[in-house]
Amino acid sequence: MARRGSPARLIVALSVAAVLAVFLLYTSIAGGGTPSLQPSQLQGHTGRVSLVGLVAGQATGDAHAGGLHFMLRDRHAMTSVPVVYKGSVPDLFKTGREVVVDGKLRNGTFVAVPNTLVTKCPSKYAPKK
Amino acid sequence: MPDLGRAALVTAFLLLVYASVAGTFAAWHSRRRLAQSAQNALIAAFGATAVAAAVLLAALARHDLSFTYVAQHTSRELPLGYTLTAFWGGQEGSLLLWLLVLGGYSVAAVLTARRVGREVLAWVVPVLGLVGTFFALLLVFVASPFATQPAPADGAGLNPSLQNPYMAVHPPMLYLGYVGLTVPFAFAMGALLARRTDERWIVATRRWTLAAWAFLGVGQLLGAHWAYVEIGWGGYYAWDPVENAALMPWLAATAYLHSVMIQEKRGMLKVWNVLLVTLAFCLSIFGTFLTRSGIIQSIHSFTQSSIGPWFLGFICFITAASLALIFLRLPLLRAKTRLESLVSREATFLYNNLLLVALALTILWGVVYPLLSEAVTGEASTVSKPYYNFFLHSFGLPLLLLMGIGPLIAWRRASLRALGRTFLWPTAAAVVAGIALLAAGAGSSRVGVIAYTFSVFVLASIVLEFARGTSARKALGGVGWGGAFASLIARNRRRYGGYVVHAAVVLFAIGVAGSSAYQTVREARLHPGDSMTVARNRLVFRGFESSTQPNHRAIRANLWRYRPGKNQYFAEDQVSNEVSIRHDLLTGADLFLIADQVNSDGSVDLKALQKPLVNLIWFAGFIFVGGSLIALWPDAREERRLAERYEGATMRA
Repeated sequence: MARRGSPARLIVALSVAAVLAVFLLYTSIAGGGTPSLQPSQLQGHTGRVSLVGLVAGQATGDAHAGGLHFMLRDRHAMTSVPVVYKGSVPDLFKTGREVVVDGKLRNGTFVAVPNTLVTKCPSKYAPKK
Repeated sequence: MPDLGRAALVTAFLLLVYASVAGTFAAWHSRRRLAQSAQNALIAAFGATAVAAAVLLAALARHDLSFTYVAQHTSRELPLGYTLTAFWGGQEGSLLLWLLVLGGYSVAAVLTARRVGREVLAWVVPVLGLVGTFFALLLVFVASPFATQPAPADGAGLNPSLQNPYMAVHPPMLYLGYVGLTVPFAFAMGALLARRTDERWIVATRRWTLAAWAFLGVGQLLGAHWAYVEIGWGGYYAWDPVENAALMPWLAATAYLHSVMIQEKRGMLKVWNVLLVTLAFCLSIFGTFLTRSGIIQSIHSFTQSSIGPWFLGFICFITAASLALIFLRLPLLRAKTRLESLVSREATFLYNNLLLVALALTILWGVVYPLLSEAVTGEASTVSKPYYNFFLHSFGLPLLLLMGIGPLIAWRRASLRALGRTFLWPTAAAVVAGIALLAAGAGSSRVGVIAYTFSVFVLASIVLEFARGTSARKALGGVGWGGAFASLIARNRRRYGGYVVHAAVVLFAIGVAGSSAYQTVREARLHPGDSMTVARNRLVFRGFESSTQPNHRAIRANLWRYRPGKNQYFAEDQVSNEVSIRHDLLTGADLFLIADQVNSDGSVDLKALQKPLVNLIWFAGFIFVGGSLIALWPDAREERRLAERYEGATMRA
């Protein structure tokens, strides 16, 4: 350590370097975030994405056996995609609700990762405007 | 009536504008009487806000549906209690609550903070006035709670998930926390504007900061418990933007509470402290913005939100203005002393600060990531639980360890030999605990074992500190062990209150680690007569029971002592999960049952979670409150000491 330098500066510099290193380590291991897409943006994405959309039409099937089948469509467009999902279904899930679900597009059907379905919005503070 | 409310808000707005403008002029030109009049305007604005709040409360109580706000957030059948809590159920009411709480804090802080000196106080008033002006402006021109309409037959009702007793305490607690952080910020800015950069503003606002921080902490725990017992997914924290909104300012405030001690004791870190208090305040405004504007749900809803752009503008303004001010005053903020060693109390405080701020900023990065990625690549990306957990482990575990090291290290410079002696027992206890845990099979989670080992280390060092202090006091003579212990705490409230809070944080960490790293989850489809086993509990399903209540139909799965099920609300056309939880008071574990899906063939898809030690989290909340109260309790001896210390300074000045 240089004689003139204050140890406080050294600590700060080392810590900032350590934090940056940890951050880079994370992004290199885990990659960035998961893309958050609407049904119309799905084409061409083969990896895992978060699909955001409105539940369209009646949901059929059994989420705890063969899988729950429903359509998700864009918030402001009619493009939609069929989804098959297994696992817990939130209370607020119903036709017209906005939901988010993780998964991958396979042969035109969005195959969801089990237990990733969440309904958006009416949790604690629903924005009124 | 709505006219009275509107008039009261306009009056509050004008008074706050006056407090800001006249206060600034008075402070600039040292006009004492004008400064006094600005202060009076600030106090009167609180009165006017209280009138507005009373009008809204009365309208809610009378179900006056000609108030748009009342019609949108209540209905005639809504019980009176929830009707009143609808005050903060929507955007306009929440903003009014913000202004009301800010007024209360402002009046109390300004009237009790004589010791900070007249010059600083003269600047504090316009800063508080300016923050108040912003919220009053929103309430008068953008989001008025007193908009009227022809009264409909009935109101829209309150969101069912808000119809819960926690609604009465959780939001007000959070607001007391968010808004309270304005006080230290205003005093910091006041001190900078008045060029009085000694530690008096810190001493004057110490209790306000501590109170705001404690409220924010308790508010979050209440919210977590609410989510745990009501929402019914088996967890208590989901790294939701709205939850993170409260956590970030709390982390910044925690860092600030620690770093100001270094400025008080050693005259160091002055720049850092004003930066931290600015960060905490900006994060609390940002938190209000997040919960209120809906920006994170989608960048598109931002433009639809009427208050969003205002908030964003205000956040940019206060950040730029405070940074500019800090930059202008840098020459005055030079430290009196320097850090002497990397192994000292000061240095551990600094490490703790950097970790807390790093944690807060990585969470902030995660929260704004969807917006940034959409702005840069045109496609929104989100980060989720793995991201947050990674940084919680990377920064949280070292923080936990520091909590055990910091209090035992000497100020200025600690010798390695002394350190060895000090840490002998805590280290021995931690090593023994670690080996015992591995032997007991806790190695299934590496993070869990590390967290537990560190926790034992911290608890041992806290016990050691109490024991050492008590025996030192007893050696002074005249008291028994009990008396020595009591007087030890009474004479050093902040220090030992702080240790009690540390113990609460450790218990909290043990609870979190136990209930997340070691939880057992089982799922099965059960027909009547079937059974499943989770963590040695055998559950036999005996079929459904159903009953009709006034506003809902209740379906319950009968599993001996457990009755998980669902409620179907008629009016709201909504289903809600009703979980069944049984606490094991001896081990602190919960068995948590969710009837995930009720099938028409009479079977149930049951989800069972065994969550070890989860009750320690709620227990830690009580310890946290206790420790905060010890640290907050008025201390006549300290007051006298401070009075002596600053009386001389005031006379010389």
